[in-house]
Amino acid sequence: MKQNKQRIAVLLTALALVAAACGTTSDTTDGTEAPGATTAGTEGTADTVAPATTAPAPAEPVVVRAAITGGEATLNPYTYVSGFPGWNLMMLQYDALMQFDLNGEPQPWLAETVTPSADLTVWEITLAEGVTWHDGMPVTAADVEFTFSYFVDNAAGRFARDLKGVESVVVDGDLGLTVTLSGPNPSFELAVLADVPILPKHVWEGIESPTDHAYDISTNIGSGPYMLTGFTEDQSYRFAANPDYFRGAPEVDELVVVVFGDDSGPLAAIRSGEIDVIFERVSPEQIELLDAQDPIDISQGPEFTTQMINFDTSKAPFSDLAVRQAMALAIDKSTVVDILYLGAATIGSPGWVHPGKTVYNTDVVAQFDPAAANKLLDDAGYLDTDGDGIREFDGGPMEFEMITNSSDSLRLRIAELTAEMLADVGIKVNVASVETATWEQAVWPGFDINNGRNYDLAAWGWSAPVQANTVRIAELVHSDPGIGFLNLTGFADAEVDAVAEALASETDPAVSEALVKELQVLLAERVPFILLAYPDGAYAYNADVYDGWAFVAGQGIVSKVSLLPEAGRP
Amino acid sequence: MKRLNKQKLMQYAIVLFVAVTLNFMLPRVMPGNPLALIAGVDVGLLTPEQRAQIIEDVGLNRPILVQYVDYWRSIVTGDFGISYRSDRPIVDLISERLPWTLLITGGALLFSATVGIVTGAWSAWRRGKKSDLSMLTGMIALQSLPSFWLGMLLISIFSVQLGVLPSFGAVAPAADFTGGAYFVDVIKHAALPMLTLSVLSVPGVYLTMRYSMLEVLGEDFIRTARAKGASEMRVLFGHVARNAIAPVVTFLAIRFAFSFGGSVIIETVFSYPGLGRLVFDAVSGRDYPVMQAAFLVFTAAVLLANLVADLLYPILDPRTRSH
Amino acid sequence: MVERTKRRRRVLLPQRLGQLGGVIVGSMILVAILAPWLSPYDPAERVGRPFSSPSAEHLLGTNDVGQDLLSELIYGTRVSLTVGIIAAAVALLIGTSIGILAGYYPKRLGAFLMRGVDVVLILPFLPLLIVLAAYLGRSLTNTILVIGVLIWAAPARIIRSQVISLRSREYVMASQSMGAPDRWVILRHILPRTALLATGSFVRAVSGAILLEAALSFLGLGDPIQKSWGSILFWAQSRGAFLTPAWKWWVLPPGLAIMLASLGFALIAFAVEERINPKL
Repeated sequence: MKQNKQRIAVLLTALALVAAACGTTSDTTDGTEAPGATTAGTEGTADTVAPATTAPAPAEPVVVRAAITGGEATLNPYTYVSGFPGWNLMMLQYDALMQFDLNGEPQPWLAETVTPSADLTVWEITLAEGVTWHDGMPVTAADVEFTFSYFVDNAAGRFARDLKGVESVVVDGDLGLTVTLSGPNPSFELAVLADVPILPKHVWEGIESPTDHAYDISTNIGSGPYMLTGFTEDQSYRFAANPDYFRGAPEVDELVVVVFGDDSGPLAAIRSGEIDVIFERVSPEQIELLDAQDPIDISQGPEFTTQMINFDTSKAPFSDLAVRQAMALAIDKSTVVDILYLGAATIGSPGWVHPGKTVYNTDVVAQFDPAAANKLLDDAGYLDTDGDGIREFDGGPMEFEMITNSSDSLRLRIAELTAEMLADVGIKVNVASVETATWEQAVWPGFDINNGRNYDLAAWGWSAPVQANTVRIAELVHSDPGIGFLNLTGFADAEVDAVAEALASETDPAVSEALVKELQVLLAERVPFILLAYPDGAYAYNADVYDGWAFVAGQGIVSKVSLLPEAGRP
Repeated sequence: MKRLNKQKLMQYAIVLFVAVTLNFMLPRVMPGNPLALIAGVDVGLLTPEQRAQIIEDVGLNRPILVQYVDYWRSIVTGDFGISYRSDRPIVDLISERLPWTLLITGGALLFSATVGIVTGAWSAWRRGKKSDLSMLTGMIALQSLPSFWLGMLLISIFSVQLGVLPSFGAVAPAADFTGGAYFVDVIKHAALPMLTLSVLSVPGVYLTMRYSMLEVLGEDFIRTARAKGASEMRVLFGHVARNAIAPVVTFLAIRFAFSFGGSVIIETVFSYPGLGRLVFDAVSGRDYPVMQAAFLVFTAAVLLANLVADLLYPILDPRTRSH
Repeated sequence: MVERTKRRRRVLLPQRLGQLGGVIVGSMILVAILAPWLSPYDPAERVGRPFSSPSAEHLLGTNDVGQDLLSELIYGTRVSLTVGIIAAAVALLIGTSIGILAGYYPKRLGAFLMRGVDVVLILPFLPLLIVLAAYLGRSLTNTILVIGVLIWAAPARIIRSQVISLRSREYVMASQSMGAPDRWVILRHILPRTALLATGSFVRAVSGAILLEAALSFLGLGDPIQKSWGSILFWAQSRGAFLTPAWKWWVLPPGLAIMLASLGFALIAFAVEERINPKL
């Protein structure tokens, strides 16, 4: 009997020990070796790869620990997971031909000069001299040519769409190239030159099918200011400064990015001093609380993400312009900003364009007028005939479901608040909070608007790049699914189509600006969706550790600009 | 017993087959699809042709039956392919995560087994007395705590206010500890999740032990032992506890098996890199192959534990053996 | 004499725990029923400044949009208890039916049903939840159904073993040999004798369901629109209250309420089980 008992005890202890032992082994094998020991697959370049920590540094190296929520896989151009902060972190290791400056304007970067022809179809580009990849090989025009065709051949959505318009790339020596487009593309700078990471040809030409290739971090060779030296999936990334970076060695010698399971983890960790900066927007109620705590500071500014209400405009009653206009009038956007964002947001413009942009039409302002909304609905025949406070149409009550994703709690509150406001004009809205993929599938089935829509009302939001590129409004509102591939509301209006299409290919800046302003007026009147707010970006950081964070207008602090010396910034 | 085993094994095989089939079906009937993960980039910007190409690349356009057979092949060969999300081999992902999960759940189980068995035996021995009932009430109260609530409060107290224990992760990021320092670091990081899990699982062991003890206490041979004048302690640990341990071991075995599913909530609250978070992320992003593999690990662990419990029970319980 | 009082105490104390559970549950049910009269405000109304600390107007302060937290807590009793009780009832209905059938026909049907129970117990919980939510629609009823469907398997096992042992009792055998139809035997002999056991499982399941609802809310898989205790905690967590002084009035009360309710039901279950098996 005694033996049996012992056996159990031994079994249990053994299990625990095995668990602990496995923990030890697994961690040492998955890439958290000392910096400088990685970037395998390249020979004889150890000295150029070694980061600052191995050289006898004069001062204490600056190490910054940053927090993100949710893993980003191996963070190369084919594996990063989210548009923000995934793309931003990926771009620490790579360079684009141009780089956003603090005003959010693209400036020459890897390309020393960018000279478009007058009709914006031929782009003469000269690369900066003496730039090398992390493995020591020189960055040449051939790499750019390779990158442009590789992304198109291997379906990298974000980069491929505009690169498809590249008709030819002619390489002229090591650093010169001429890019010819099949048609004028006024967004070429924003969507390609400042967005597409240039890949090293010698690393990627061997990867035949990048979407189902098994990656480790040896692929992560770029020309950027940081090199990924360690990666433990869903735990942390380790970036070492590239001392040979062509714009100067970065200020932060080592950047450790910690992956958290949810949004409240980083908040606890920055308070306890376990991390130094949060690479996610902190929610509005935290701004003041964190700022009040020493040594934590907040970097805050307007950003281009959007919070909006979508409706399926292809079906009744949302196909009726009067209903959409009434709904827009019934929702008080300033309440959304004041109550939910505690003021840390810009009120949504009904013309889509952010009021901070130069092309914003100052005549287009959000209106709040429930009385006018009621009148519009009354006049259009949506009456409350049975006196229950809800209007009727088609023999039934005006009662709809508004779908939202439960992982974004602020958006859920937005849905609740708008439902409350719509009730005041006799439209009953039931908020349904579902898991994110279910919500996406309803609003944007299969991420292809050809599949139609499966919702009445939805709380929705776009990431910053959609707003950043103002000349591309057609993507959001054009009735042709090929052009308006982000037109999730099924909006169709011939006049809007015409103006939006003209805008997308207009090469004269003055004409383009006039068209944008005209379009804003049209959109405010035709209501393809209801824009509520552009939430501010607010980032918490420990000023004692590093305080060089730079807020790129519309995009926040997560960019290489924040980490470069003053002289090296664009 | 041998005959029984054969029949039992057959039953296990059937359950395994059905469970594996459901593990395959469930991900595919979930709304949404893994396109966003496979493409790895803003999927909305892809053209319909590119989308179709990607689906074809990973073989999701093949008939469902072919994919199903393929899943069985992967179970047999142990090659589960690569994750849509991280583009790394799934076997690596699971073998990285499993030890962490087992460390916190196994540690918590070990702790709660010790505490639960001792307090359970003690409580049963003092059955009906005030001390028994207040302990019982206390344990039931502990069991009634919401896990995330407890975890968050512990972070707030031990990490933020007192600053003595780390609030996230399994090891200090980029600290390069080795040897003893590494061990200490791992233990420090595991402390809070383990504590939370322990608080929540002690009551289960305690209650099982207590009930089982009370069953045994009522039996004749205990009365005989007592009548023979054996000392209290001797009767308690020599006779009663020994005879009452079988259901507790079964309970622990099943609990241990369930830990192969990870503990999503605890791992999320403490940002702990265990299986639970892997599964949660896979489920959220519809990472079919990772889901399938992780569910298989879970299914297999639970079935194995049941099997082991079935086999152990007669050995552990002298009363059933004597029949 | 001494022996007898001792025995009486032994019976009394567990019953007293049961009574304590009864008082807790009873008063909570009372709060739930009287919610509209007890709560100072409509919990859905924005009545104060967001994030206010406790004051005379708002005894527990306000939440992130300025709703009164005390009123939310009081109304939360309604939602949480409803979810707990109905979900447990659903679980019990399924569990008892399956358990009785499996126990009464232990051969083919029983084996088949119990393999089903085995499968349900090892089904991956998260995707099942998402699939059920997607196909059943989104509402409180759905949350209840989902929880019920997830927790019926354990009671089914318990009931089955009870039925198996009942089946070999003389009166059941006698009825059967006299040619009584199965349905009659089940309704007349089996069901009444499993009732108490079922009650025990039911009360225990209520306690589990209340906790499960809170956990689902935390993972964002519940229905945060419903003002349950779990959803109060969901909002507290997502608006950072755990790390601010607000935890004392925003986080602590709903957590304790969940604990108390769950404890109340568990104590009743304990007393019921004591009743069934006085040896315990």
